[in-house]
Amino acid sequence: MLRKIIYKEFKSYFRNLNSIFLPLIFFFLIISIFPLLIGPDKNLLNKIIPGIVWITVIFTTLLSSSNFFKDEYNNGFIETYLTSETSLELILFLKIILCWIFTCLPIIFFIPIVSIFFDIPLKNSFVILFTLIIGSPILVSIGIFGSSLTLGIPKNNVLVPVITLPFYIPILIFSASAIESVSSGLPYEMQLYILTALLCFVLPIMPYLLKYTLTLSINN
Amino acid sequence: MNISKIANLKFFFTNTKNLSRFLGLFTFILFFFGIYWGLYVAPSDYLQGESYRIMYLHVPAAWLSLQVYMFMAITGFVSLVWKVKIMEIISIQCAPIGAYFTLIALVTGMVWGKPTWGTYWVWDARLTSELILLFLYIGVIALYSAFSDKRQAVKITSLLAIVGLVNIPIIHYSVEWWNTLHQGPSVTKFEQPSMHISMLLPLLYMFLVFNVYFIAVLIKRVQLGIYNREKRSKWMEDYLSD
Repeated sequence: MLRKIIYKEFKSYFRNLNSIFLPLIFFFLIISIFPLLIGPDKNLLNKIIPGIVWITVIFTTLLSSSNFFKDEYNNGFIETYLTSETSLELILFLKIILCWIFTCLPIIFFIPIVSIFFDIPLKNSFVILFTLIIGSPILVSIGIFGSSLTLGIPKNNVLVPVITLPFYIPILIFSASAIESVSSGLPYEMQLYILTALLCFVLPIMPYLLKYTLTLSINN
Repeated sequence: MNISKIANLKFFFTNTKNLSRFLGLFTFILFFFGIYWGLYVAPSDYLQGESYRIMYLHVPAAWLSLQVYMFMAITGFVSLVWKVKIMEIISIQCAPIGAYFTLIALVTGMVWGKPTWGTYWVWDARLTSELILLFLYIGVIALYSAFSDKRQAVKITSLLAIVGLVNIPIIHYSVEWWNTLHQGPSVTKFEQPSMHISMLLPLLYMFLVFNVYFIAVLIKRVQLGIYNREKRSKWMEDYLSD
């Protein structure tokens, strides 16, 4: 059962290659719009590029996770999951991980290219990479939680971002501060540790929370 | 009298009408005395002069904004676990009240900030976390109003409120760590409170007044919520036609 579900998820991601490439294109578009807006001043860009990268990651995760359960809810898959013998928590955990692999991992692979474009030093770009690797799974799982809350609502375009963005704030603060510390030569390990702690706190709880929300949404 | 009787919607609706009226009037009187005490009797501050007096609105509103969120999450938890109908209504009716308290705290803080800091807004830790609290409230209200099935809506929003309650300390401490410039808490320092007792007493009194006000408004709003939910039921029609 579990293997079939993973197979189905992979297949649905690969069948629609747009869902992998479009977030990436979106990411590049937003990143390249910023220099057009604020001017090509290199010092200024160097100062704000970590923030831009993170804002773009927020947009991308919100776009990909805000309608996460919609199709499965409409097709009745969620009821099937709830009644199946395989543990739903495990399925949901795998779905979070897969969503992260197909939406955030491509972006993380392209961070070196972004660093070349904006001339970020190697050490700084490594720290950006680390904060993204640790922080983006939290963003994805919170976004999926937001989408599970809005399942019973037919149109929810802006609602999910409004609900979930306040929950993003701690992660954003610590990642931005880690990047800022490394670019001004200060120690940055502490922020990475806190991010890791948040990841260890959020990721194990999230499948249980999602399962509870899904049962609430189904039992109406 | 047992709990289940008070928790009954009909009992609550038919028996709290006078209570909410009385509490509303009581708040008015208490508020009048509190304003008099805070604005005339209390001494003026040697550093900030008279502008500190806005504290008597600002600080209780800020306390209440957090307290109401906590109350909303706890009643939401009770409604999810024990399926008490009245708790569902109480929980969701807390959200607009709490949002108003947050707004009052923010606006009075801005008014105080102009003469003291020279600017209406600074991106300081406590201001920012209060703003985020406002966003949390708005999220709850928006989520509730997006559902057409209100019973379903209450369940989902209680869950959001509970998760928000877990998150508030994390948000608060991360924001605090991010930047702090705000005047440190001057009431809760136990060894040596940095506020004189003649200023502190009106503040605590105003906190009490705000609490009474909150209960009065909450009862009124819960009555409205019960009416909206039960307006087609038999007892409501009987009661209103009398």
